[in-house]
Amino acid sequence: MELDKNINYIVSGLERSGTSLLMQILHAGSIPCAFDESRKPDNNNPKGYYELEGGKIINKLMDGTFPLDKYKGIFIKITAYGLKFLPPGKYVILYSERNIEEILDSMEKMAKIKDINREETKNAFIRLNNMIKIHIKDRSDIDCMFVNYNKILTNPEISIKKIHEYLGMPKEYLDEMMGVINKRLYRQRRIL
Amino acid sequence: MTEEKKFTTISIPTPLAEKIKKRIKGTGFTSLSSYVTYVLREVISGVEEEREEAFSKDDEKRVKDRLKSLGYLE
Repeated sequence: MELDKNINYIVSGLERSGTSLLMQILHAGSIPCAFDESRKPDNNNPKGYYELEGGKIINKLMDGTFPLDKYKGIFIKITAYGLKFLPPGKYVILYSERNIEEILDSMEKMAKIKDINREETKNAFIRLNNMIKIHIKDRSDIDCMFVNYNKILTNPEISIKKIHEYLGMPKEYLDEMMGVINKRLYRQRRIL
Repeated sequence: MTEEKKFTTISIPTPLAEKIKKRIKGTGFTSLSSYVTYVLREVISGVEEEREEAFSKDDEKRVKDRLKSLGYLE
């Protein structure tokens, strides 16, 4: 399937909010996705991170050196904070959200830390998430769809169909996209 | 002196209006307009509430520190 080559397509959300899973789903649906092997799969993301430059493209967006033009018509992953630095353009963003406690659990596990100021960290990420959501909804050069990681795993059919419809994809790819959902990945589930 | 107009007219699709009429039957809403006004006020106050909780410099420092520990920022 081809995407519009005048548009930058982005998968986003807070880190550990399910952005890699979204990229996997899109990739399985034969949607053009760009990623490299700079960060290898590990216990935190057994199926890979599906990101560019080990996820460190935020710095390049901040100083204006990330080559967005090169990735038009291709999905790339830029986590939430990076969206603050997107230059004017034409964007389609799939923005993933997840239970904040699960996000923090997963971050602590990945960073191998025990956050003694967890409540403050939680509030900072909630406010970042709110700010970025308002920012992308307000910008006239961004079209966005919000998806929920927890709902994708508990009810993949409905969630993936919505993504599928949003991108105007041919029906034959739906099964491949659905096949990605591996409930074993859902190790840190909490009751919402 | 002309009195300032206190109401204005907004068009919504007829099928939506019909749905709303059905929905408000038996509720305290006396008209389509009163229901739509209520919903819009709720939406606007929600958006304003969201905007009030600003992302502060302290928040940004905390987020950046965490992103560095996760390898997303240098």
